[in-house]
Amino acid sequence: MDRPIMSAGPHIHSGASGRRIMLDVILALLPAAVAGVVLFGLQALWIMLTCVICCVASEFLFNLCARRKQSVGDLSAVVTGLLLALNLSTKVPLWQCAVGSVFAIVLVKCAFGGMGHNFANPAITARVFMLMAFTSTVAGGAIPAAVDAVSSATPLDLIGVEGAGLPTIGQMFLGLRGGAIGETCILALLVGFAYLLLRRVIHWQTPVIFIGTVFVCYLIATGSFSTALYEVLAGGLVLGAVFMATDYTTTPITAEGRMLFALGCGLITFVIRRFCVLPEGVSYSILCMNILAPWLERWTRRKPLGGV
Amino acid sequence: MNFRKNVSTLKLPHYKSTASIEPVRIPIPQEVLLPMSPMNKHGATNAEPVVQAGDHVYVGQMVGREKDRGSAHVHASVSGTVKAVEEYRMNGARALAVRIESDGKQEPSPDLRIPQPTNLDEFLQCVRDSGVVGLGGAAYPVWAKLSAAQKSHIQTVLINGAECEPFITSDHRAMLEHGDLIEKGIELLKQFLGSEEFIIGIEKNKPDAIAALKQRFVNDPAVKVMELGSVYPQGAKQVLLYNATGKVVEKGQRLASLGVIIINVSSLIKMAEYFVTGMPMVERIITVDGSAVKEPKNLIVPIGISVKDLLPYCGGLKEEPGKILFGGAMMGKTQESLDAVILKATNAVVIMDRKDAKATEPSPCIHCGRCVAICPLSLNPTAFDRAMQLEDDEQRAALLTDAQVKVCMECGCCSYVCPSHRPLAATNSAALSFMRSWERAKKEGGK
Repeated sequence: MDRPIMSAGPHIHSGASGRRIMLDVILALLPAAVAGVVLFGLQALWIMLTCVICCVASEFLFNLCARRKQSVGDLSAVVTGLLLALNLSTKVPLWQCAVGSVFAIVLVKCAFGGMGHNFANPAITARVFMLMAFTSTVAGGAIPAAVDAVSSATPLDLIGVEGAGLPTIGQMFLGLRGGAIGETCILALLVGFAYLLLRRVIHWQTPVIFIGTVFVCYLIATGSFSTALYEVLAGGLVLGAVFMATDYTTTPITAEGRMLFALGCGLITFVIRRFCVLPEGVSYSILCMNILAPWLERWTRRKPLGGV
Repeated sequence: MNFRKNVSTLKLPHYKSTASIEPVRIPIPQEVLLPMSPMNKHGATNAEPVVQAGDHVYVGQMVGREKDRGSAHVHASVSGTVKAVEEYRMNGARALAVRIESDGKQEPSPDLRIPQPTNLDEFLQCVRDSGVVGLGGAAYPVWAKLSAAQKSHIQTVLINGAECEPFITSDHRAMLEHGDLIEKGIELLKQFLGSEEFIIGIEKNKPDAIAALKQRFVNDPAVKVMELGSVYPQGAKQVLLYNATGKVVEKGQRLASLGVIIINVSSLIKMAEYFVTGMPMVERIITVDGSAVKEPKNLIVPIGISVKDLLPYCGGLKEEPGKILFGGAMMGKTQESLDAVILKATNAVVIMDRKDAKATEPSPCIHCGRCVAICPLSLNPTAFDRAMQLEDDEQRAALLTDAQVKVCMECGCCSYVCPSHRPLAATNSAALSFMRSWERAKKEGGK
């Protein structure tokens, strides 16, 4: 006969698990992934598969070599791979995707101790690394197969260029424009956002404050509602705000800290897009704020009830 | 910054299937074992046995005398013969215990009198004689709690009928059945403490108790029956105080200095009962529930009965117990075997089957912030977790002090919501005891 278990409370659990959360994020990314394949063709699928397989394999091998407990079952490497792929365009050769994936998992995540210990978002850091290492293929975006007459550059490159053929707001919303695989179809991203909210995986504040800040800044700077709306739909803003700025590990643990984090992301994105030579600022803004996250966490500490 | 209006927000499954069943008084067992400690917690002070093997005792006769403010008198719950004064082990702590073989007659002690106090001091002495302790779990003697009235005026008495723990319905049943004793208890406190306001806080998942008490006190403007949200830990001192009055016991303050005392509704009932019958605390209502119990119900049992002896009145067990708990599913304490005996502060026995008892292996923290968002006291449990992983005592103590671990009341909300199944509440307790020994060592080292 087994003895009764002796343990400290509580003796019941909500049933939440890290694996389930990761699964929810993957499910929330699926609409954007499907839209990517529809818009950019089968090459998008190959890129996604390459990134996911390379991420999972490098985590598996790293754990094996470092004699760490195997962690690929938590599905977080799948999320990293999928996110990285959705941030790349179909112009990027598969071998570069593989290099980026290994970079994300081994250097950004596992080297710092694995899940929960990295200070920067692996997918974003890998994308920034690839942007520098493989500038010619990673910068700019591919053109959806469904679009014929639009110029080969992404809308963000074209804004400000006189007479350039910009896609309409409606086309932007559906993703009929140049860009990375997963960033163009806003509709699909919003479906994923709604799912994450429904499953209570993320709070609405971070994406809404991030996107809202960019919108308001542009509204003030340009005085044009349509330009502000266009900026919000362009580039990787919605993808970044919904899926990357809400990453648990690399953002503050307090609710108020997360709001400040989102505000900072929005401001930096605006400054980079408007005043710097770079066409896109979402990745850099999130990366900058990742570094500030521990400070935001400290500054937003609550006074405990009955404490000081 | 504090955006929060409600401090407790965790919605738990209630598992309160026994709420609609009237408590059943069980026949007197053949023997009882009366530990000199009112609760099942390490560090509680014990009473001293005043009987020896061979002595004959009556029901209500004192068998253990209190030693200080932390302990309470123990009274025989059956009449019969003292078999032994022996050691009883509970959760790592040891206490002497008096084993009494029942003669089946249940003869009350001839010395018992219905108390007639005339002033506060006499009243407190009577409460002291009753042996009643806080029945919500802390088991602090009620007279010691009430004695705060000797120093400061107690304006408000907060009567805790929240019963926020899953499974437990013993307070609920007591409120339904002993409205008269609640009234009597309030009369006594009005008379001797001079309190002007009585708030009975009840979670809204007990609408019948709320309705019954509202009806009873409809003509008494001093008594307010307050409906509270069904959120855990609604019945915790700081949470109940905040949600019912908006007050907070700040660091270094005592509850009584705010002019408030909080008393569990069952403690109030037991206290009042003594002034009606003259019988000290020798029995109580307990909830027996859990997935391994065939017929969950509420029982009226003598203090000192073993779990094994009361199980037949609940249809027995479905299978070997996976986990035996005294208390609810959140803060209940595990017991080693079915030989564990019911103490004054045992409000429930929850016996889980093996499937429910099984714990999931923890994985690394993913920084999701759920524990921080759910903590009713706005603490950051991940900070304690990180600190406890440090090797250096000095650093660890500094981090824990900075994170204010001492505020933690070990309610367990953090562990409950953690997707990585980290035992945060257990780590918090470990951190609390680390801090105690650290401070003791430091004090001694400084001399």
